Amino acid sequence: MKESNKGKVQRRMLLLAAVLLAGIFVWFGSDGTAVQAENDDSTLIVGFDASFPPYGYQDESGEYVGFDLDLAQEVCKRNGWKLVKQPIDWDSKDMELNSGSIDCIWNGFTMNGREEEYTWSVPYVDNSQVVIVKADSAIHKLSDMAGKIVAVQADSSALAAFTGEDATDENKALCESFQDLQQVGDYNSAFMNLESGMVDAICMDIGVAKYQIESRGDAFRMLEESVSSEQYGIGFKKGNDTLRDTVQNTLFAMSEDKTFETIAKEWGLTDCICLKEYVPALLVEEGDMEDDEKSQTSYVEEGEEIVQGEKVQEDTANNTEGKSASKSDFLSIAKQLGKGMLATLSIFFFTLLFSLPLGLLLTFVRMSKYKVLQWIARIYISIMRGTPLMLQLLVVFFGPYYLLKMNLSYSYRFYAVIIGFSLNYAAYFAEIFRSGIEGVPLGQREAASVLGYSRMQTFTKIIFPQMVKRVMPPVTNEVITLVKDTSLAFALAYTEMFTLAKQIAAAQTSILPLFVAGLFYYIFNFVVAFVMEAVEKKLNYYR
Amino acid sequence: MKVLEMNHVKKRFDGKEVLKDISLTIEEGEVVSIIGPSGSGKSTLLRCATFLEQMDGGTLSYSEHPVVVEDEETKKVIYPPKKELREVLMDFGLVFQNFNLFPHYSVLKNVVDAPICIQKREKEEVYEEARELLAKVGLADKENAYPYELSGGQQQRVAIARALAMNPKMLYFDEPTSALDPEITAGILKIMKQLAEDNMTMAIVTHEIDFARVVSDRVIFMDDGMIVEEGKPEDVIDNPKNERTKAFLKKLSY
Ligand SMILES: Nc1ncnc2c1ncn2[C@@H]1O[C@H](COP(=O)(O)OP(=O)(O)OP(=O)(O)O)[C@@H](O)[C@H]1O
Ligand SMILES: [Mg+2]
Repeated sequence: MKESNKGKVQRRMLLLAAVLLAGIFVWFGSDGTAVQAENDDSTLIVGFDASFPPYGYQDESGEYVGFDLDLAQEVCKRNGWKLVKQPIDWDSKDMELNSGSIDCIWNGFTMNGREEEYTWSVPYVDNSQVVIVKADSAIHKLSDMAGKIVAVQADSSALAAFTGEDATDENKALCESFQDLQQVGDYNSAFMNLESGMVDAICMDIGVAKYQIESRGDAFRMLEESVSSEQYGIGFKKGNDTLRDTVQNTLFAMSEDKTFETIAKEWGLTDCICLKEYVPALLVEEGDMEDDEKSQTSYVEEGEEIVQGEKVQEDTANNTEGKSASKSDFLSIAKQLGKGMLATLSIFFFTLLFSLPLGLLLTFVRMSKYKVLQWIARIYISIMRGTPLMLQLLVVFFGPYYLLKMNLSYSYRFYAVIIGFSLNYAAYFAEIFRSGIEGVPLGQREAASVLGYSRMQTFTKIIFPQMVKRVMPPVTNEVITLVKDTSLAFALAYTEMFTLAKQIAAAQTSILPLFVAGLFYYIFNFVVAFVMEAVEKKLNYYR
Repeated sequence: MKVLEMNHVKKRFDGKEVLKDISLTIEEGEVVSIIGPSGSGKSTLLRCATFLEQMDGGTLSYSEHPVVVEDEETKKVIYPPKKELREVLMDFGLVFQNFNLFPHYSVLKNVVDAPICIQKREKEEVYEEARELLAKVGLADKENAYPYELSGGQQQRVAIARALAMNPKMLYFDEPTSALDPEITAGILKIMKQLAEDNMTMAIVTHEIDFARVVSDRVIFMDDGMIVEEGKPEDVIDNPKNERTKAFLKKLSY
C-alpha cells in the first residue's frame, strides 16, 4: 500500500520535472519573439526616476504621479497614444534610452551640460541648484560651506554644477573648499544623512528643495544664494527628431490653450515653468538649436531667481495639498508595498521554476561523457558564480540591444529579470546537484545495473530521489539567499518590493517603508525556512 | 548445461594485469567456491562476469549463448548492444558484500521493484512470490521496514531475496558475510546452504573455508590473477597440491 503511494508521488515528481522542462523550452522559444517585438507607434514609454517628486514619484495608492507624468499623459491623450510610465534606474538612463526600452526621459531632466547627448525639447521648466541645511545650522552663505560635508544625488545636476565639465570656476573653487562632496542614491537618503548629522548640507534642484522643505516641516532651511541655474527639457534618443517634434508641438498647443499652466499650477510649479518663452520663438525658427541655447542661458538672472523661489513656496503650500504625499502609517505602507511584494514573489517563484530544472540539465551536461560538454558547463558555471549577479542582469537586459542590435519590447524588462536570475541560480543549483549525485554510493548504481535497470531508470528511480534528500540543506540556503537577492532586480529598475520601498520612502520622506520591507523579507524567509524544513522532515522516512 | 562459460578472460587496471587468462565453466546446479588471498582478483572476476567491469580479452557465454566475443583479427572484445546485454542480466543475480539495498525503498519494494519494472511481470504474482521469499529468509514481519531499520544480517537476507525475486539461473556472492558479525554469519550461510540443496547454481567468493568445504561441488583457488588449483573441496582444501594453496590455507587456519 505504502509502496504504491510512494511510486505515485515519484511519478508525479517526474511528470512535474518534465512539464517544467517543457516550460523552459516554450519559454525560451517564445522569448526570442518577445525581444524582437517593436514598440508600436501608439505607445509612449516615458522613463523617469520614481523618487523625484513632484516631477515623478509614487503616491500613497501606489500610482506613479507627478508634474511630468501629467504632462506626458496629456500629450499622449492628444496624440491618441497609450502612456507607459517606466521607472528607471537613473544610472542606466542612457542604456534604457538607446536600447529603445524607453522613448524619452521626462523627469525634471536638466539640459545644461548635456546638450549634445540627447535630442532635446525646448526647456519647459527653469530650475536652479540651491543648498539646504538644518534650520539651526551655522551655514548661511555659500562661503560658510567651506570645510563642511555636502551631499548631492549621484549623476544629478547639482553634482554636475560642482564637478561637471561645464562647472563654473566659482563652483569648482567652492567644491574644493568642502571637506567632502558625497554622492547619495536618492534624496531621501540625503535627508536621512543631513538629519543624522552625517552631512552638513545638501545641494539640489529648487523645485525638489521646496517640496522637501514643505513636507518635512521647519527642521530645514534653504540658503538664499543659489549655486547655479538651469533648465529642464525632455530628452529623446539622439536623432529622434520626429518624436521630439510631435511631443514638443503638442506641448506648444497645451501652452497656447493654458492646459500646461493649469497642470503646472496643480503641482505648485507655476513660477518655474518657462515653456511660454519658447513658443513663438520656435514657431519662427524651428529646430535652430544655437539660438535656443542662447535664450536658455540668458533667461535666468541671479537676482530674479530668489524672488521667484519665494513665490513658488507660497504656491506650493496652497496648491499641492491634495497631491503631495503625506506620511502614512504602517498599514497603509504595507498596502502600498503590496504590488512590490507580488513582484518579489513572482521573481522568486519563476526563478525557482526555471532554475531548478535548468540546474539539473546543467548537471547532466557537467557530468556528460564528452569532455567538450563538460568544459562548456564548467566554464558557464564558473562565470555565473564568479561575476556579480547584478552585472549579469544588466548584460541580459541590455545585451540584446548592444550586442545584437535588437529592439527591446516593453515586457522584456520582467523577462530579463527572470532570465538573469534563472541563469545565475541554475549554476549554483547545478553544482549542488552534482555533489548530491556524486554523494550517492557507487554500490547503488552497481546494484541497479545488475538488476537490469537502464541508465534512465537508475537515475530517476534510484539516484534522483536520494540526491533530492542529500541536497535539501544546501538548496534551502540558496532559496533563502534568493529571497534576499530578489531586491537586485532594482538594477533593471524592475519595481520589486525593495525598489518600491525606496521610492515610497523618498516620496513620503520617511524611513518607515524600508523597515516594513525588511519585515516582509524576514517573514518571507521565515515561511521559506518553514516549508523547506517540512519537506526535509517528509524525506526523513529513510536514512 | 553450462550456465556460465568464460575463456581466456583478461582484465587490466592501469596497465596492471589483474586477471591473466582465466577460464571457468559452471554447470547447471553446481556450487563453486572461489578462495584466494586479498588482491588476487576474485571480485574482479565476478565483476567481469556480471558486466560491472569490461573485460580486456577473452570470451563469455551464458546458457551456451555467446555474449562477449573476440574479434578474430584484432583480438578486441565485442560486447552486444545494451538492450541485448540487459536480457542476459536476467540470467544471474549478484549479492554484494555491503548489501547495496535501496535505502529509500521499503524491504518489500526492494524485492518487487525490479521484477515489476524491469521484467514487467504481473504485480500480484510478484508480490506473492516476494512475500514467500521474505518468509524463506526469515523476514516475513519486516516487509514494511526500511533498510536503515534492519541489522546487517537482515539487510543481507533482503539482498538475497531481491536477487532471487528475479528468478535467475544462477547467483553470484562476493564475500556475503565479510561485513557481518560471526554469530550473524551463520544465519546467512544457512540460507545459502538451503539454496544449494534446492539446486541453485552458485559461484561464491568466500573466506569461510569450512562453509566452502561443506557446500561446494568444486573449489577454485585464485592467486595473482590466475586459477592456481581447482577441484573437489576435499582435494583442494584438505590435500592441496600447489605450494601457494598450501601457504594460503595455512595462514587461514591460524
Ligand atoms: N577499479 C579498480 N581500479 C584499479 N585497480 C583495481 C580496481 N579494482 C581492483 N583493482 C586491483 O585489482 C586487484 C584485484 O582486486 P580484487 O578486488 O579483484 O581482489 P580480491 O581478490 O577481490 O581481493 P579481496 O579478497 O581483498 O576482496 C587488486 O590489486 C586491486 O587493487
Ligand atoms: Mg573482493
